[in-house]
Amino acid sequence: MAFPARRGPSILKSRGHTSKQGYHKEPLRTMTTPLKQLLREHRTELLDEWLQRAQTIWSDDGHSENLPHEWTLKLRAIFDDIVAAIDQTPTDTFELNPESPLANHLTQFVTAQARTGNSANRITSLILALKNLLSNRLVTQSHTDALIDLIWLERVFDRLTLLTFSAFVEVRERFIAQQSLSLMELSTPVLRLWNRILMMPLIGVIDTVRAREITEQLLEAIARHEARVTILDLTGVPVIDTGVAQHLMKTIDAARLLGTRVIMTGISPEGAQTLTKLGVHFNDVISRATLRAGIAEALLLIGQRISPIEDRRP
Amino acid sequence: MRIPILNLGRILLVSIQVDLTDSDAMEFQSDLVNRVAEIEALGVAIDITALDVVDSYMARVINDTAYMVRLLGAEAVICGVQPFVAMTLIEMGRDLLGANCAFNLEQGMEILQERIAKRGDAYLDEDENE
Repeated sequence: MAFPARRGPSILKSRGHTSKQGYHKEPLRTMTTPLKQLLREHRTELLDEWLQRAQTIWSDDGHSENLPHEWTLKLRAIFDDIVAAIDQTPTDTFELNPESPLANHLTQFVTAQARTGNSANRITSLILALKNLLSNRLVTQSHTDALIDLIWLERVFDRLTLLTFSAFVEVRERFIAQQSLSLMELSTPVLRLWNRILMMPLIGVIDTVRAREITEQLLEAIARHEARVTILDLTGVPVIDTGVAQHLMKTIDAARLLGTRVIMTGISPEGAQTLTKLGVHFNDVISRATLRAGIAEALLLIGQRISPIEDRRP
Repeated sequence: MRIPILNLGRILLVSIQVDLTDSDAMEFQSDLVNRVAEIEALGVAIDITALDVVDSYMARVINDTAYMVRLLGAEAVICGVQPFVAMTLIEMGRDLLGANCAFNLEQGMEILQERIAKRGDAYLDEDENE
């Protein structure tokens, strides 16, 4: 059910009215504006109309069922907050306090929607639908001083839209940061393939941060296992450019200083052409087309070979 | 004009017999590189016996191609550099043909076979299919 309009201390900062005198003047002026009157008189009607529009937005997205109950509750709460905020603020200023219930409710709603993969478009259009609704009603009732209210409404909803947008982007950005972090941790494993043979499959784009991580992990593993041969598999590296080549060269040079032979595998024809055209020359590096050939080469370097079992052991 | 690329088992054989325009040269390069990757070639012999003139661009193309082939895990040999070509190349700069060279195709193939026999993946197919 609709929450009662909040009558507590003003949730919105009003600039320039901090003096006691100004504070007492406010309520007198706020009583009369057409927007506030409209909201007081047609409150339930407006809410119903907004929910109907929300329903339209919801079904436009390809959903056949009704608006989820949870949405209705949240939108009601947000509506009440907006009404309260409009009711309690003079019409020449509006600053959205991030601590206010309105900001909290809206942020919560947007965050939940962003997590479940709803588009920013849909959420913003919900907010804009309410603005549209209010300004239309204001114009049809055509008060003479509705213009000031319209401009003010514009300002209020600008703030709300900005908040919606930044809340949405924040969720998504946190998501991306988390993913790239986990990608970084996942994508640099050093595998011990055989006694004294290490392998490092490189997957994804190699940037400076990752390159350093790769080099550190590889060198540490080489030292720990006293590896004679190290295979760097580049099958999963989509693009080889100057940056990647430079990083690779450093990694390989460092590994060679520890006394290990380096085998590169899985370079694509395009990659080979780019490396050559960039003038990158790897000295003393064995390169093989596939990981399979690379493993055979590595085994040969330590004098071993995988072959069929000829006679079964007793 | 397209340079034909011949398969000899897992060795590729190309013979450049006419002067190539710049775009022909690039086409030849990418054709060869793609074929090497496609069949996982073990060796490539580039024969330039028929070329009387090799300019610095062509030398660079041949050299680069040999390097690309090596990056893709195959051995590369350049065969049949004519004495006069060798002299002009040296005049132009020592590193123009840094790849391995052989006197003719026959010796080139010998070098390739020898090198391939020393490789780890030379007997891979036999070992796996036995």
